[in-house]
Amino acid sequence: MRFEALRETLLKGGVAPRHVRRYVGELSEHLDDLVKQQQALGYDGEDATLRARALLGEDRELAAAMLEQKRFRSLPARAPWLFFGLLPPVVGIAAGFLLIGSLALTAHLRGMTTPGHINAPEWFRTLTFAVTGLGNVALAPLLAATFVFLATRQRIIWLWPLLAILLLVLMDLHFQAHFPAPGQRGGSLGLGAVTWVLHPQSWAETWRLSLARLLLTCLPAFWLFRNRMIVS
Amino acid sequence: MASDSSLSAGLSELMVLRLLQDQEMYGYEIVQAIAARTRQVLTPGEGVIYPLLHALEKDGALKSRRKTVAGRSRIYYSLNARGVKKLAAMTDHWDALTGAVGAVLHAV
Repeated sequence: MRFEALRETLLKGGVAPRHVRRYVGELSEHLDDLVKQQQALGYDGEDATLRARALLGEDRELAAAMLEQKRFRSLPARAPWLFFGLLPPVVGIAAGFLLIGSLALTAHLRGMTTPGHINAPEWFRTLTFAVTGLGNVALAPLLAATFVFLATRQRIIWLWPLLAILLLVLMDLHFQAHFPAPGQRGGSLGLGAVTWVLHPQSWAETWRLSLARLLLTCLPAFWLFRNRMIVS
Repeated sequence: MASDSSLSAGLSELMVLRLLQDQEMYGYEIVQAIAARTRQVLTPGEGVIYPLLHALEKDGALKSRRKTVAGRSRIYYSLNARGVKKLAAMTDHWDALTGAVGAVLHAV
């Protein structure tokens, strides 16, 4: 691929991938124009390409011109502590609320709720258990994979995505749904976090699910180390 | 006092804005136009024009659009209202600067 070394230098320098993509794209188009210019001057083949590449500038100069523009740096590069240290719990909680909120809103709009009671039909119970079950297993691992992907794409040092994974693991975000037995009152939809600290006894009941979630959440990190795709 | 690099960066910015005042252009065209109009006295590094264009666009002085001409798709840049103001301010500053330097150089 053209300008691969330059692309790597810019990404490692913290330039946002979209700016790198555009810069490299424009440089490629410019190089094509320069090759045509050199061919028009009578140079051909390899000679025209070499002259065009020299006219475009050395990789060092091209990289320096972009790197000195601090405003092109990505948020993860500028403030990794914010992106990988604060965003994982915030995004996790926001996604959890969105999921639970959607179910609660559906129940409310369909007239299933009265104060202190959910009178849910079978289809809503099935839907709720499916959604919360999937959320319990997949939300944290998906978030972990996303943060690892973003870190890899932007050549961020491996410690930061590892911090994001650690926070997601410690948060142990999970959903709870409870529907009353026929004829009884009650029922709840909820989002739980760090219950292993707040209610350690509950971990004894749910340790299988928690362990599965923990392993799945850590999977992107194992994958990264295995593929040596992280920047040290 | 401005360093050599900031002076030349300012010059490149001024020339780019002035060229784009007349018509929309893409990077290669801009570099060729600067070289031609300055009779090759000022030949900016061809590739380094893009970070400058991107920065001006981020500042709101330029806008860009992808356009296909004769089968080639390129990003064209043009001046917008903020760019016109910036060009006027920079031109005034440049006139004052050259006048001041000229007064020193040609003083008897």
